[in-house]
Amino acid sequence: MDTAAARAEKAVKIFGTGDAAVRALDGIDVEFAREAFTAVMGPSGSGKSTLLHCMAGLDSLTSGRVFIGDVDLTTLGEKKLTLLRREKVGFIFQAYNLVPTLTAAENVTLPLDIAGQKPDPEWIDKILDSTGLRDRLKHRPSELSGGQQQRVAAARALASRPEIIFADEPTGNLDSRASAELLEFMRRSVHEFGRTVVMVTHDAVAAGYADHAVFLGDGCVVDEMVGPTADKVLDRMKSLGSD
Amino acid sequence: MWRATIKGLIAHRVRLALTAMSIVLGVGFVAGTYILTDTMNRAFDNLFKQVTSGVAVQVSGIPKFKGGSSGMDAGPAERVPASLIPVVAKVPGVRVAEGALAGYAQLVAKDGKAVTTGGAPTLGVTATNDPQLSGVRARTGRPPQRAGEIGIDAHTARKYNFRIGDVVTVLLQGAPMRATITGIFGFGSADNLGGATLTVFDKQTGQTALNGRGKWDTIDVAAEPGVNAKDLRDRIQAVLPAGFQAKTGTQAAADTSSDIKRNLSFFSIALLVFAGIALFVGAFTIYNTFSILIAQRTRELGLLRALGASVKQVRRSVLAEALIVGIVASGVGLGFGFLIALGLQGLLRSFGIELPSTTNQLLPRTIIAAIVVGVVTTVVSSVVPAMRASRVPPVAAMRDTGPAEYEGSRRRVVVGSIVFAGGVAALLIGLFAVKGAAVVGLGAVVVFLGVAMLSPVFARPVSRALGAPLPKISGISGKLGRENAMRNPRRTASTAAALMIGLALIGFVSIFSASVKASASAAIERTLRADYAVIPSSFSNSTGFSQDVAKQLRATSKFSSVVEFRQGVLGYKGSARLVMATDPEHVSNVEDLELPSGTLAKLGEGEVLVRKTTADSEKWRIGQDIPVVFSRTGKQQLHIVGIVKANVVQSDFLVSLATYDRNFVSQLDAVVLVKTKPGTSEAAARAAADAIGKRFPNVKVQNQAELRDTQAKQLNMILGLITALLGLALIIALFGIVNTLALSIFERTREIGLLRAVGMARRQVRAMVRWEAMLIAVFGAILGIAVGGLFGWAMVSALGPQGIDRLAIPAGQLIGYVVFAGVAGVIAALGPARRAAKLNVLEAITTE
Repeated sequence: MDTAAARAEKAVKIFGTGDAAVRALDGIDVEFAREAFTAVMGPSGSGKSTLLHCMAGLDSLTSGRVFIGDVDLTTLGEKKLTLLRREKVGFIFQAYNLVPTLTAAENVTLPLDIAGQKPDPEWIDKILDSTGLRDRLKHRPSELSGGQQQRVAAARALASRPEIIFADEPTGNLDSRASAELLEFMRRSVHEFGRTVVMVTHDAVAAGYADHAVFLGDGCVVDEMVGPTADKVLDRMKSLGSD
Repeated sequence: MWRATIKGLIAHRVRLALTAMSIVLGVGFVAGTYILTDTMNRAFDNLFKQVTSGVAVQVSGIPKFKGGSSGMDAGPAERVPASLIPVVAKVPGVRVAEGALAGYAQLVAKDGKAVTTGGAPTLGVTATNDPQLSGVRARTGRPPQRAGEIGIDAHTARKYNFRIGDVVTVLLQGAPMRATITGIFGFGSADNLGGATLTVFDKQTGQTALNGRGKWDTIDVAAEPGVNAKDLRDRIQAVLPAGFQAKTGTQAAADTSSDIKRNLSFFSIALLVFAGIALFVGAFTIYNTFSILIAQRTRELGLLRALGASVKQVRRSVLAEALIVGIVASGVGLGFGFLIALGLQGLLRSFGIELPSTTNQLLPRTIIAAIVVGVVTTVVSSVVPAMRASRVPPVAAMRDTGPAEYEGSRRRVVVGSIVFAGGVAALLIGLFAVKGAAVVGLGAVVVFLGVAMLSPVFARPVSRALGAPLPKISGISGKLGRENAMRNPRRTASTAAALMIGLALIGFVSIFSASVKASASAAIERTLRADYAVIPSSFSNSTGFSQDVAKQLRATSKFSSVVEFRQGVLGYKGSARLVMATDPEHVSNVEDLELPSGTLAKLGEGEVLVRKTTADSEKWRIGQDIPVVFSRTGKQQLHIVGIVKANVVQSDFLVSLATYDRNFVSQLDAVVLVKTKPGTSEAAARAAADAIGKRFPNVKVQNQAELRDTQAKQLNMILGLITALLGLALIIALFGIVNTLALSIFERTREIGLLRAVGMARRQVRAMVRWEAMLIAVFGAILGIAVGGLFGWAMVSALGPQGIDRLAIPAGQLIGYVVFAGVAGVIAALGPARRAAKLNVLEAITTE
């Protein structure tokens, strides 16, 4: 592993002004390794979602810098950020991940369609196969279960072969079985397809699927862990005074 | 509960304001029409009051027929013989009695063209000797005193730059006259008489110029001081022979004014029809907005129900919301009416129709009508959404239900088809059986409702088909735009329905006028044998022209036939009918009357040819006497000697010039048809005719091709005016599109946020919204054109016997309308598209 897939340097994000000001990110320094599955953990208000939003180019920092590869996001305008999201970043959200008017297959190729690119059929086939949803590709999101929808969303995040995929509480709305299927899929996409995934979660079980875990508290990194398991994560969370 | 209603209103104020816009515009149109026509009426009242202020009593002939309710002018009553003046003058209390005359007199401007008005008459009047008798007074200069002198009104003087001492030409019933302007006249405080131009003659000159033939239109009487006008009227009436009446000056002014107002009443009716159309379209917009708002508030309504609100309370709350919107919008619309009145006046002026004006009149009736119409429209349109709101179950508060997906319902198809069929039936019954505009209008409204009910069924497949090329043209934006247009067919359909109405009417008018054009053109080709037609030079001043035109054409000896046609209005069974008069001996040389039965040669005095369609529907036979009534001569029997098939003569009756002469006061030619003498070159004939045209600037000479062209131009002008009046309905429909898009975008906030997050550029988001708008608009336009085509076909079929026998579909024009609608849709989408593109991505994806 050479340079990090994404990193933040002295990143500060302040919401509000004056007395009401909240330092969501308080000069955080963090790196996410390439071709790895990293879980970002932390109690509510620890700044984990804010970190993800800022690193993905969805929100801007108050000060400091964030990089995707070598690109400094803080120097980019709205148009360049859109292009960056389109080409280098994949997203999986907690809910409402799919465009309801498009079929599952169309949702998967959406980023490519937005970019006006021809999808590489072999690659698309590969990721569609690994979702295990071959027979449901012509269905619309409303005809899929929550777990199936999230797997389609994950496949979409892979479609444009982005440098990094950000997942924001992807299992938050899923039952344990659907969660396991999704997390397994995410892990495979890192280990089989060589992707990089950063997942924000407060679920220790979910974090157990990751290669690394980063613990946040009050807008700073408070701890890191290699090869986390659900139990280890849970212990650490308790000691950090989790939610 | 009331607090919730008020809070709901405040929360949705922008959306409701947009909705209210459609009611504001519609109510504004209604109020504007009333303000405009009330102002015009008041202007006429004031004018005539001023003009006759010094007249105690006025003596005139009793008109035997006034034109019924048609708005057609049946012409003046029999004139008063001069011999009555000394009789009236001898009545005790009369200080002075004078004859007065009014008739056709048209000035020629300095550029050689005839002075025209926007529909008002070009009048010649006689000056009074006694200054008290007339409100028409010389402001500068002096009244005309002898032949070769005239006075003119101040408005015309200013507009055409006439000055005292100028020598001008006046076109009259007889030969044109050259005269020096000796005075500029005003009407009390007004510069002219409700848009009419005025030429003032001295009494003697006026007698000749206005074709008085020793008679007067009125005898105006000034009373001695202290004499009561009503008593004087009674004493004068006692000495009058039968057929004449005495009125007080006040009464005469009111009667003249109300005659004019009655003749112009079609005007306010026509404008109110357009206002009604605008409101009808507005109702669709309201219905649509409330439906969407209710769908979006499903959870909130469920919560209210869960907290114990009854079905009734929810329904009332929605209706109360509509009521408040309706009241506010009507109030604003009423104020807006003043602007609309100004706009309408400007619009009509640009089409050559000038109305007299005074300070704007806002009558209580206008206020009541505006509020009632606005509130009723709003509340009625929100009844269905309110019912839907009240059916939201309490459990909806817990469920995360988005707006319900549409499912094509069989009931909708069945009910919609029945309504549609009912509308078509009413339309056809109205056109073919009862022949009533009200039934036709009702049919049209029901057809619109039926189509609106059925249109959700078509919305999805039509959007799919129309949008098929979009993914190729515009990639993902095109594809998503198309999907969005298809995703909620009910919403797409009811948004499109508002546009459909306007375009159906425009499409119908286009098809109808193209058919009229084609039919008239074919009829000219088939039946016109003349080489040239001499017609009035201006469409708005088509009163007619001097008989001297025909006389002078004959005198050139370049033409083998010169046949004049005159036109008038008579009464038959109380309704006004057009009557045409011509020279029966020579008419066949210039026009094929297509006479299947009867003969022309026999058309003597008191005899009539009738149009076949009219004869058929009235069951007239040759040899029968029919009772008619003329304004001048009263009841007459006309003997039918033949039946005419030709439709070029757009009148029910054709009489000889002699019969016409006897029954009408005014003797102006409406058209003169001429045939070139064999052996005379076309150029020579044309030059001779044009030379006369130059001497009479109120006419123009046209060959067949030019004549067809003129007809087409006149029809295009009417089409243009109607389209402009429908413009407001179209604007309301476009507001509806803006509204629907804005609401849809609000509803799709997270979806748009997602698209932006995965890399969709703002430009692409804007394109997506624009495509959706374009599809909705084009869908509405196509529905509209289809319905317009149905109306056009029905109308043309119904009028076939009246000579509109060709159905012409102006395809290019109709396609143009669809393209225009698409472009308008894109323009309507600009605001919502910008809003969608500007959504903050992070906020959008984290919205609940």
